[in-house]
Amino acid sequence: MSSQDQAISSTHEHGVHDHADADVSEPARPGYYEVMETAVRELLIERRFFEAGEIRHQIEVLDSRTPALGAKVVARAWVDPEFRARFLANGRTACEELGITFYDDTQLIVLENTEKVHNLIVCTLCSCYPRPVLGLPPDWYKLKPYRARAVYEPRAVLAEFGTIIPDDVEIRVSDSTAQVRFLVLPRRPEGSEHLTEEQLAALVTRDTMIGVVPAMLKPDGDAS
Amino acid sequence: MTATEHLVKRLPNDVGGTPADPIQIADHPLEPWEKRCHALADVLDFHKIINTEEKRRGVESLGTELVNKLSYYERWIAAFANILFQKAILSPSDLARKMQEVEARWPTREK
Amino acid sequence: MYKAEWRIIGPVPAFGETPLFMPGDRVRILVRWPVGHYRVPIYLRGKLGIVETIIEPPAVDNEQEGYGRNAGEKRHYYRVAVQLTEIWPAYAGSSRDSLHIEVFETWLERIET
Repeated sequence: MSSQDQAISSTHEHGVHDHADADVSEPARPGYYEVMETAVRELLIERRFFEAGEIRHQIEVLDSRTPALGAKVVARAWVDPEFRARFLANGRTACEELGITFYDDTQLIVLENTEKVHNLIVCTLCSCYPRPVLGLPPDWYKLKPYRARAVYEPRAVLAEFGTIIPDDVEIRVSDSTAQVRFLVLPRRPEGSEHLTEEQLAALVTRDTMIGVVPAMLKPDGDAS
Repeated sequence: MTATEHLVKRLPNDVGGTPADPIQIADHPLEPWEKRCHALADVLDFHKIINTEEKRRGVESLGTELVNKLSYYERWIAAFANILFQKAILSPSDLARKMQEVEARWPTREK
Repeated sequence: MYKAEWRIIGPVPAFGETPLFMPGDRVRILVRWPVGHYRVPIYLRGKLGIVETIIEPPAVDNEQEGYGRNAGEKRHYYRVAVQLTEIWPAYAGSSRDSLHIEVFETWLERIET
């Protein structure tokens, strides 16, 4: 689909779409649900329930929340044992220490992977996910197969991500249903002792913090 | 046990442990309207117009067919419309008229 | 540093302020069939587990909150651990594997050993 946000922004701000350039540069017609979204938003703004600027600002907030934030916190926990302890005691306040604000009422429980325990996060009922620190969840996390099977056959699910967990390691599946959100603190990869905090953060992907894969060194042993 | 009890007892989103397919490890970048829809949800929550739990309940209330056939953000916006009607913040004809006005901003398709 | 003699005796907690369950309590997730919004998945109903942590502070019952008014009865949620072999009789993974979930106080009953 062609990039539409400029056209849509000008549509809702000026109320009129310029039909003069009816050639290939004209954006595609919006679908039914986009029309619904536009109409709901414009009606609520007209009736002063909120301002257009609030939507624009919240889009900026959402765009700024990516797994890189979680990666920074995890890397800090890997190198700083006292921060790690605070992170495990209260995930939200530890994130706030690093400037990651939580714009909702959720708490964050950090689940530590060890040589005896591997954690995995799911929301079977919907798509609860630690958005303030990881951004928006991937499609597979929100769709039925993952949500149905993670609580029934977590080892088979992990295998689909290429992760095999030995039988003597406990798998703990956390199903989010209420105000608490979860983040997995993956194990620091062996052989990473020489890496800087920034290089360590580069090893921490979104999927390591959901728990479907472990954090790994890059194939050639460095983090570049 | 009547023939239809199970349809009421199990919400369409309650899928834990039910038979399912292999996971398609796919993702797509959000369409601009989807991102605006997510921002709308957050702003509605901040203003306590529609809280997150109401949104979840609103999506469930769409029923099994819509939950299974509409995409993630399509479900959200349909749920928001219904909840806003229930709260008498908008009326169905308000929204219908506005949707027609929005559609009219694009030239009609020539067939 | 907390000293026991600093604890003020006298204030009566309101309903819902005092947790009914403690970490380590053996509990059963109730079998109940709400019509409408619920947040305890069917796969857990009737299962036995152990309270892992008390989530503080007490919070609104999300099954009521879903119906609006940003309100509902406030009580505690508990993070409860349930063995996967307890949930799924045919569970094929390790017997150590477990599921952890937040459950509202009104969905739990204590099991006396």
